[in-house]
Parts: sequence; structure tokens; C-alpha cells
Amino acid sequence: MANLTMKKADIIAAVIVIPICLYVFYESGKWPVPALLGRPFIIPRGVATFLLVTALLLLYRALTGRALELEKRLEGADLRRVTGVAVLTFGYLFIVERIGFFITTFSYMLLFGWVLGERRWFRLVLFAVLVPVVAYALFSTTLHVPLPRGWLESTLRDHGLAFIFR
Amino acid sequence: MVDLELLFHGFATVLSGYHIVALVLGSFFGIIIGAIPGLTATMGIALLVPFTFGMNPFTGIVMLLGIYTGAIYGGGIASILIRTPGTPAAAATVFDGYPLAQKGLAGKAIGMATIASGIGGTFTALCLTFFAPILANFALRFSAPEYFALAVFGLSVTVSLTGKSPLKGIISGCLGLLIAMIGLDPMGGFPRFTFGTTQLTGGFSFVPMLIGLFALSEGFRQVEVILTAPKVSAVLTNIIPRLRELRECTKTFVRSCIIGLIVGITPAIGAETACFVGYSEAKRTSKHPELFGTGILEGVAAPQCAENASTGGDLLPMLTLGLPGDAATAVLMGALTIHNLQPGPLLFRDHSDLVHQIFAGMITANAVFVILGLTFARFFAKVINIDRRFLVPLIFIACMVGSYAIDNDIFDMITCVAFGFVGYVMIRYSYPVSPMVLAQILGVMMESNFRRSMAMSQDHLSILVTRPIAVTILILAAVTTITGIRRQRQALQLEEKLAAEAVAAASRESGQG
Repeated sequence: MANLTMKKADIIAAVIVIPICLYVFYESGKWPVPALLGRPFIIPRGVATFLLVTALLLLYRALTGRALELEKRLEGADLRRVTGVAVLTFGYLFIVERIGFFITTFSYMLLFGWVLGERRWFRLVLFAVLVPVVAYALFSTTLHVPLPRGWLESTLRDHGLAFIFR
Repeated sequence: MVDLELLFHGFATVLSGYHIVALVLGSFFGIIIGAIPGLTATMGIALLVPFTFGMNPFTGIVMLLGIYTGAIYGGGIASILIRTPGTPAAAATVFDGYPLAQKGLAGKAIGMATIASGIGGTFTALCLTFFAPILANFALRFSAPEYFALAVFGLSVTVSLTGKSPLKGIISGCLGLLIAMIGLDPMGGFPRFTFGTTQLTGGFSFVPMLIGLFALSEGFRQVEVILTAPKVSAVLTNIIPRLRELRECTKTFVRSCIIGLIVGITPAIGAETACFVGYSEAKRTSKHPELFGTGILEGVAAPQCAENASTGGDLLPMLTLGLPGDAATAVLMGALTIHNLQPGPLLFRDHSDLVHQIFAGMITANAVFVILGLTFARFFAKVINIDRRFLVPLIFIACMVGSYAIDNDIFDMITCVAFGFVGYVMIRYSYPVSPMVLAQILGVMMESNFRRSMAMSQDHLSILVTRPIAVTILILAAVTTITGIRRQRQALQLEEKLAAEAVAAASRESGQG
């Protein structure tokens, strides 16, 4: 994303959108037409046609040098921060249900704050500890919404320590 | 007509212990959200929707109304103190708000902004109370063709949300329409665009998608600008304006209230447009237009009054017809739906007591944020200095956990993050996000009512052009599409012109000083 100009971004967008439109035409052709319930492909194909025309116009404008100006390029420290946060966030999704809410969120908050430039370790650790505790208290206890358990909570519960999580 | 007995009962309900606490908390949180640049009213509502699940419907709704009105008002605080609007709706407040702060009158500016916002919001909340039942009663005559036409009209006005590039806005809207079609066919029940996966059989969950597109995408943007957030150093004194100063702004209040109401009622344009039009009209009709931009109270009163006046207007089409007035009301609509309340005329017929409670809640919410804003002005000013390195991670975790809380499903969390990242990339490359969300709501309405119309008429399209109300709405939709792009360009030009004039006025003032 660092060196992606508006022109390149518009071309990529058109290249992504055009096959989507063609796919809509393809898939809608396989749908059944229930009696007395209208033809289900009319609206999807209408939208896909409109989208296809718009995407082709966008592609044309990009190729003829009429793309908008990009307000600010994403580079250097800004790019590193955004990339770091994106990697951390997607990583959180994959491990939160396996490892559990507490450990994953603690690690996530710690690393997130570090990526954003906080270097005072006491504040970082305190923040990383408080967030999952408060979130757990709010969601699990007050709103009665269970959070992902993972192996830590399951292990503690198996060893008779379920009272911690009430 | 409004039922006064139900309305008084509504006030009694709002002011009872549990509900007023929820309203005050929502308002307080909303003002904080609004005051911090980069966090919007829509984001605040989206973030808090999951927290309302465990509450009874009215308590949840009244809390969200508190956030909505509080956040729209709160944006003016940052505009005045650090020359950066807290929300897009407060952009015009910068022109005179910041110069006032530079003169040492930050407290007075905030006081005037607070009272002006309260006046505007209360006026249109009263208009909503008295006009909504009339419109809802008329809409009871609507059938599938009329609802189809309404959905098309709503989609046509999203052209106004396309920002600098109508093509990109239309692409965003069309993608929203296609996303709304993922899942089971509404009438035939067969899977569409599910790629054989069970998670997509129900389509993407709406609230996690909303949270991702409006809240998490903004979180990613905050990561980008984390090192450049300005700090507040002003000291606030003499916050409450004098009666004489309020009297001098009477005409401004009246004009801005009407402007805000008209802008708010027009679907798909909201507080952002209202603030500029309110400021522009105040300047144009003033005896001393050259003073605008140099730091005058009228220059703060006009945009703040208009932007909060638009909130009642935005709720009118949403509550009566199920047409969101702007992105924030689209999220509010999502919240109502989660509590099994479908906005539209049937809401008025089947839940009249709740509707009148909402009216009472809206009127009370405006009084609450005025009291909070005047009492805690210094606290809200300090909140702007909150360390973003802790605030931004909190936003991320609130978004993800809030999304998970809806159905205890990790797929909802994935939806939130995926759409959050997509929304961030879209905003970066000038693809507006609001048309995508509005199109999803309106797309469902459009398709299901089109299919019903075809079923009613045995596949004859003439049903859409032979019913007078439906035809009128479709003609309005065509006119709105044609004028929408021109209106959007005019709004952008007005914004640039006012900004240039404000800079010029400030330069003249400092040159003379």
C-alpha cells in the first residue's frame, strides 16, 4: 500500500470489481425460478450491470490520467504502524479462541501499545492487565456474554478454579 | 397526531431512575466521543450497540440517542479548542470558534455552542414528535410497490454521499447492494453467493459489519495519525453566555433550527451539510458579514444550532418510513432491528407507547447534554488530550469483543475486522463507506418489495408505474439522482469557500491587531 497511487488503486479496484460482476451473472443463472415468487435474478443482474459499467468508467478515467489526487501517501513510520496493527489484529482473531481471551488480549494490548510507540513498560503492562479484566467484568459478569475460553480458562475450570470466572 | 397522554407517560418513563441513568451515561460518553477528533457519532453508536443487548429495548435506545445527540454537539469542543473538528458535523464551528479561543474566550464559545446545540436539537425533537405520527399514518397506505419506490428513492439520494467522486460512491453503494444479497433468497429460500459455506447462509451479520466499517476503520486511521494529534492548552472561564449575548443570536437560532430540520429530513444528508449551510446563511444575512471568521459568538451559534437541529430531522424518515437519514441513523436502525423493532409505520401502530417514549427520550437527551456540557466543560476539554496510544487499542478491543458478543461467534469478529480493514482502505482511496451501509439496508427493502410487487402483479412491471404514490416517489428519485451530484459539488465548493474566507478574515484581524 506504500507506493500505491490513486491511479493504481483505481485500476486494482476495477480489476477486482469486474470479475465480481461477471460472477453475479454466472451464479444467478443457476438459481431456480419459484412459481409466483418473481424472477430472483433481476435485481442482482441489474445491480451487477450498473456496477460493471461504473467500474469500466473508473478504469477508463484511471487509464486516461483523471484519477483523484491521493491526500497523503502511507509510508515510513505510519506504514509500519498500520501494518503492525493489522498483523496483530488478524493474528488475534486466529488465536483468541484457541488460547483464550485473557492471555490473548493481554498480549495484544501489550504489543499494540508498543507498536504505537509507548515505551514505559510499567504503564504498558498495567494497561495490558486492566483491559482484559475490565472487559471480562463488563461482558461476562454485567452483560452475561461469555468470552472465548481457550485452554487456560478450561484448564483452570477443570482443576476446580471455576469460581475465578464467576 | 401525537398522543399527549402517551407522551407524558413517555417522559415519566425516561425520567425514571434506570432510564435517566442510561441516558446520562450515553450522553456523557457521546460528548467524549464527539470531542476527540477522529471519533464520530456513528462510530460511538456502532461501538455501543453490543452493550445495549442485555438492556430492555427502550433503555438501550435511549442510551444510543444520548450518544447520538451528545456526540454531534461534542464535536464543537475540539473545533473551538484545537482548530480540529471533533466530528465532521462541527467543521464550520472552527471558523469562529478557534479565533474566539485565541482571544481567550474559549469558555464563552463552548458555552454558546452548548446552548445553541440544545436549542436546535430540542426544536427538531419537538417537530419529530408532532409530525412523525402524521407521516407514519400516511405511510400505512403503502404496499410493496410504494416501499420499493421508497427504497429506490433512498438509494438515489445516497448519490449525495459520494464525496469528491460520484463514480466511487456508486461503486461503494452497488457493492453494498450485492453484499446484502449474500445468504438465502428472501422468497425462494435457496442460497445465494454463499460459496457453499454455512457461515454465509445467513449473510454477513449486520452489526459487526457496521462496527467494522464505521468504528474499526476509523481506528486504523487513528493508528496512521497517532503522532500528530494536537493538544489542548486553553483555560476555560466564563462558560455561560450572558442573556444579552443569547438575545443577539435569536434570529440565528430560528434560522439555523429551520435549516437543520430541512437538511435533516432530506434522506442521506445530515449534520455535516447542516453546519455549513447554517453558517453560510448566518453570514449572508448578517449586518456585519466581514466579522465572520474573526471570532464572533454568532459564528459559533449558527453551525452548532443547525447541526444538532438536523438530528430530529434525520430520525423522521428513519422512524416513519424505515429510510435512514444518514449513516448514524442507519446504525440506530440496526440497533432497533436487533431489539426486534422494525422502523416504519407499523412501529407507530403496534408500539405507539414505545414511539412516544422515544420522542420523550430525544427531547430529554438535548436537555441532558446541555447540562453536562455546561457543568463538565473543563473535563471534556481535558479529554481531548487523552493519550491515543491507549485509546486506539481500546477502540479495537471494544469493536472486536462487541462484535463477538452478538452471537458468541468468532465469524462475527472476523467480519468486523475484515470490513474494518476494507473500510480503512476504502477511505484512504476516496471510496465513501456510508453508501455501502445505506445500500445494504435499502437493498433488502428494494429487492424484497420488488419481488412482492411482481408476485402481486404476476410479473407485470406496470404495477410500479400505475400506483400514484409509487410513481410520484420514483419521479422524485429520478430528479434527486440528477440534482444530487450537483448538490454535492455545491456543498464541497461552499465548504472550501467558507474555509478560505475564514482564513482571510483571520489574517485581516491579526494584521490589524
